[in-house]
Amino acid sequence: MKIKAVMFDIFKILLGIVMVSPLILALLVSFMPKSDIMASPLEITLANATFQNYIEGFQYLNLGTYLKNSFVMLIIILPCQLITALAAAYGFSHFNFPGKNVLFAVLLSVMMIPGEVIQITLFKMIVKWRLIDTYAGLTLPSLVGVSAVFLFRQYMQTVPKELREAALIDGCGDIKYFIQILTPLCKTMIVTFSLRAFVNIYNSYMWPYLVTTKDALRTVQTGVAQISMNNHGGITLAAATITSIIPLVVYFFGMDQIVEGMTAGAVKS
Amino acid sequence: MKKKQKVKLLPYFLILPTVIGSVIFSFYPFFKTILSSFSVTDQYGSWQGWAGTTFWKMMFADKAFWQTLGTTMKFAVVIFIGTFFFAMLFALLSTKKTKMGKVSQMLYALPIAVAHATSSVIFRFAIKNGGLLNTWTGTDTAWLADENIAFWIVAIVTIWTHISGSYLYLLAGFRGVPEDIQEAAVVDGASGFTRAVKIMIPMASSQIFFVLFLNILSALKAFTQIRLLTSGGPNGSTTTFMWDIYQRAIDYGEYEYACCLAIVVFVIIFAVTRIQFAFEKKFVHYQ
Repeated sequence: MKIKAVMFDIFKILLGIVMVSPLILALLVSFMPKSDIMASPLEITLANATFQNYIEGFQYLNLGTYLKNSFVMLIIILPCQLITALAAAYGFSHFNFPGKNVLFAVLLSVMMIPGEVIQITLFKMIVKWRLIDTYAGLTLPSLVGVSAVFLFRQYMQTVPKELREAALIDGCGDIKYFIQILTPLCKTMIVTFSLRAFVNIYNSYMWPYLVTTKDALRTVQTGVAQISMNNHGGITLAAATITSIIPLVVYFFGMDQIVEGMTAGAVKS
Repeated sequence: MKKKQKVKLLPYFLILPTVIGSVIFSFYPFFKTILSSFSVTDQYGSWQGWAGTTFWKMMFADKAFWQTLGTTMKFAVVIFIGTFFFAMLFALLSTKKTKMGKVSQMLYALPIAVAHATSSVIFRFAIKNGGLLNTWTGTDTAWLADENIAFWIVAIVTIWTHISGSYLYLLAGFRGVPEDIQEAAVVDGASGFTRAVKIMIPMASSQIFFVLFLNILSALKAFTQIRLLTSGGPNGSTTTFMWDIYQRAIDYGEYEYACCLAIVVFVIIFAVTRIQFAFEKKFVHYQ
């Protein structure tokens, strides 16, 4: 019985290794010198392992710039999405006002418009506004996110009404209540959303690809793709490895949070 | 009196940024896309005059359109079957919490962090001419230049990139099945297979449907891997809607035609989402 269980575990791990084998391959190749990669027939060997590919990626190619641009994108988009979504969720969950249902329906219908469908029209708008190759062009269409509004609103509705009444009686204003009491209560939701948004923005390709033409504005994914066009496999996979480490670390430490967030969006309560 | 008015205005200020942002960057481009499909536009997409249904007729009469539609549908079906099969296998294998189970679980979940662009670049290295696949098979086949093979390579790369995400959803569903029910089944002598089919799968139906539709939808929206692996070729065998839209709007200057295609994609996605909601209502087992 015990041997059977061990065999089963080994089988499961072997299957897992097959699953991640493309990543292992990328890691191995990233340490191979050009001469080994150009060899025919190509063989995976670490006989002449070197850090050369990583050094070249940062020294002669703009890997550092790509990373910087992705982080600028993140630093602009993430706080904007968080603040606007939290505020809107607060407005919808804690207040009654004329036109509330209409405005809510408007936001709900935005959820039905997939970003991919309007991508080319957004691109034309950005061209017309002369925002190609600018951070504004990269970030503007993503500054507000409707799905985050629904995520936060759903959570805020579960916060007991008595809490707000008590705070208001104690002389706490609506805005103070929002910033000092309600927002800290949403901490888990905020972390979950931020982790997922972080990886989504960092891993995005199509929009950055459309609105950037200069190397100085390329983000991580478009940059790595560009490197892969003009360089040998060693440098390409070194770039792919080093840029994948960041989302890997985010997922490694935030796995439980992210899974929780995934199911929060998937399962209706 | 003054205070009362302030309270009344506050909620509008709170939701204003989101509403304005959504109108400018979702609604406006959406209606502009519809309008442009019936119009003639300049290089900036600005309206120049009516075209009626010219571009729509052109699209429906175009053989390439029907080929793209067929390829996109085939792609969606292959992606959702392939991803679902492996994600389900991995999830059922890791339902039981064991010490070593953590390791295999981590391995199954790891590729979720890998972007489509990154996985395309990795796979292309192995598949390209003179790459590993040639070494291993001892041939000099140009895999990505072969009409029959290129589609399947794009599909495999996409499936590989999707498995981990779907796996985690399914695992969360299976882990949600109450343990006393599982134990009761074991006591009653139900085999692993029976337990999977009769208990785990029905109890996790909510996540299963979600994963099925998630994969169909993301296959319909695929762009990155097609751009980086095949650029829609050879002979349009990997041209799906998103690639077609991109090429016509940006490379060929056929923005109006691309808008017609975008509306078609919208209608398909809308229909799929409707079906998803209907299915959820009818079949999903809530506790």
